[in-house]
Amino acid sequence: MKFFLAFLSLTTLGFAEKPDGAQLFTTNCSACHMLDEMIVGPSLAEIRSIYNGKPDDFLKWCVKPSKKRPNVIEMPSMVHVGDEGLREIYAHVMKVADGVKVKEAKKGDPYVSSPVQTKRPQIQRIFMPNAGPAAVAVALDSTMSLCWDAGECRLRYSWNGGFIDGYPYWQGNGSSLAKVLGSIRYVEARSPFENAVEPKFAGYRIEKGLPVFKYQLGDRLITESFSAIANGGGFNRSFTLTPTPSAPVVLNFPEDQKVAYTSDKGKWTGSTLTLKGADTAAFTINVTFK
Amino acid sequence: MKLRILCSLLSLCTVASAWTDYFSFDTIPNPAGIDPQVGAMDTMPDGRIAVAFHRGEVMFYNPTNQSWSLFASGLQEPLGMLIEKDGSILVMQRAELTRLKDTDGDGSADEYETVFDDFGMSGNYHEFAYGPAKDAEGNLYIVLGIASNGASMAGEIRGEFSEVGEVDREGMSDKKLWGKNKGKAGRMYARVKWRGWVLKLSPDGKKMEPYADGLRSPNGIGFDAKGRLLITDNQGDWRPTSPLYDIKKDGFYGHPASLVWRKDWDGRIPLKIPVPELNKMQQPAAGYFPQGELANSPTWPVILPEGAVPKGIAGQTLIGEMNQPTMIRVLDDEVDGVFQTGLVTMFDKSPLGIGSNRTAFGKDGSIYVGKTQLSWAGGKGITRIKWNGKPYAELEKIKALPKGFELIFSQAIDPASLKKLTVKSHTYEYHQAYGAPKADEQELVLNSSVLSPDGLKLTLDIGPLKENYLHLIDMSALLTKDGSKIYGDKVWYQVVKAPK
Repeated sequence: MKFFLAFLSLTTLGFAEKPDGAQLFTTNCSACHMLDEMIVGPSLAEIRSIYNGKPDDFLKWCVKPSKKRPNVIEMPSMVHVGDEGLREIYAHVMKVADGVKVKEAKKGDPYVSSPVQTKRPQIQRIFMPNAGPAAVAVALDSTMSLCWDAGECRLRYSWNGGFIDGYPYWQGNGSSLAKVLGSIRYVEARSPFENAVEPKFAGYRIEKGLPVFKYQLGDRLITESFSAIANGGGFNRSFTLTPTPSAPVVLNFPEDQKVAYTSDKGKWTGSTLTLKGADTAAFTINVTFK
Repeated sequence: MKLRILCSLLSLCTVASAWTDYFSFDTIPNPAGIDPQVGAMDTMPDGRIAVAFHRGEVMFYNPTNQSWSLFASGLQEPLGMLIEKDGSILVMQRAELTRLKDTDGDGSADEYETVFDDFGMSGNYHEFAYGPAKDAEGNLYIVLGIASNGASMAGEIRGEFSEVGEVDREGMSDKKLWGKNKGKAGRMYARVKWRGWVLKLSPDGKKMEPYADGLRSPNGIGFDAKGRLLITDNQGDWRPTSPLYDIKKDGFYGHPASLVWRKDWDGRIPLKIPVPELNKMQQPAAGYFPQGELANSPTWPVILPEGAVPKGIAGQTLIGEMNQPTMIRVLDDEVDGVFQTGLVTMFDKSPLGIGSNRTAFGKDGSIYVGKTQLSWAGGKGITRIKWNGKPYAELEKIKALPKGFELIFSQAIDPASLKKLTVKSHTYEYHQAYGAPKADEQELVLNSSVLSPDGLKLTLDIGPLKENYLHLIDMSALLTKDGSKIYGDKVWYQVVKAPK
């Protein structure tokens, strides 16, 4: 009985209609493979140049593909199509791609000079180098930029020159980091508050195009905002603490010979700033590149 | 008419663009300078369509003058959106659920408030975040995709790392050794917190309850008209083909990577758990989208409102699809309280094409479909679909019977066309490997097909239904008494529970 059923199903499904290569191609392949242009996968013209005269290799690849090209996703197995169907697809591809030339893929970010990308200031959440995965890139103006980490709630680094090239991330599915355009001028290895408790990111408010970051440190709400010093000369960094602590607050910044620190409140000892509790209601630090 | 009969006799009748007899398909102009890959959409109370794009812009499309305006920018891969009563917008982006508020009334957001970010990020590109869906009490549900071994983790992560796995922290984030380690990491992995989980948040986002686990790449979450929480997932490891789930609290949905984050987890490496044990644990899919035929990457579920489609299907769920040139309508059925569905094509072989990722509805009944691809198969931009109000022939309902199915059509069927109706069934093996071929595929013997006197109800007798089998009823040769084909001419019904 089982044998009979299997035979019946083969008869009705397998032999009654010979699979049509063009139709199978449309169903299984056309979403990723175009005739003369690489989209998700290589073009049919390129596939033909690889597999013409090698149907068995073609079948092997379709049943068990692997990752061959960087920045291109791995093809899923087409084992469900069956050998006979894959041979029909092969014949179809070899036929339609015969004599077709591959179009050169366009290179570079097509939106690089769009006003949306070039406006300053700018805030962009994206995967950044040397930061946690919840990074925020901020262009303070046309020359000063910084990377703020919304996971650890702290400034990571600042640079001058350009902003970022997000295209490595945006051109695909986010498997590459954005690139910093310019020279890194300042790096912080830890929060100046040297948190005893884990900070909790609360978001940001936008004022004049710039972010005012908010985070909770224990019972205290901190805001942190930035503005550029002209001509890529550094940045100003303003904090508010609510409520203000009664005891003095000591903030440690990197001992960096290439920057100078000043502030509107508190006393500096080297790169350490000591503020009276009440002064932390609002204070600004200037970080000037030497 | 004569031509239709002739071509149906020759079975050449594909009627390629016939959806256009009932629906218009227009591409709306993309906003200037924006990568028009659509990650999220919803409708504002005033009828404007809010759209979130790949690079993080949130824009409003005003249908009355076809203009775009920018509301917010700089988000990272927004993949879900919910507009609140006061006009503020909840957006799910990679790192968090964010509320965008325009507090000064100038038309653009000035507050980007973090509503919830208490979940891990490994820095892997495949950790997409989806949602929120809102229940009747105002609770929010988000769902977190798991990482792909197409890449390692990043050096820095957010949140806790799970030591449960064959490869240690260093090995999981070492790009140079990844070629060696990736095989042991799992095709998809969840080594940071709540990846692969549905999380339930209180309306203010302050309380979180881990709700369900076992998800893989769930690019679709939403409530249906009856309050079921639906999630679509993608074919891959532990997914023979893309499933549709009806999410229940504490349910496990088949992909084991997320199990390491269970509160009382016994420390076993998910890939070492015997498959039969996992199979017993998992909740069945309420529907399956056969790979390469119906859908390879189904997307967001939305409820079809009245006015957008004929009354007989209003209130049903519509789902997008990235790879196949169709959308999918969900016909729901229940057997002994078990939800199961028939999935039917909609707008197949229409000008819509592929890449349908998100859907929103205009006040005039327009269906706005936003597309994306993110380097995979798909498309870009937004298609506006508008029904012209004319009725057409379609399957409105399907119901499992002890010996077959009952189908309800919107127009009377010509009994002479029943001869060519076919029913096939197959099942899938649950396993770790990426996808699965159809198993035990058979053409079923149709003992009888009986039409009601009005021609609207068709009863198919194929004998007792087999549980855990997907049944394809091919209606492509059916004609109405007026000689029209059936729009959406294939339905795949997953028998979870067979009626007695």
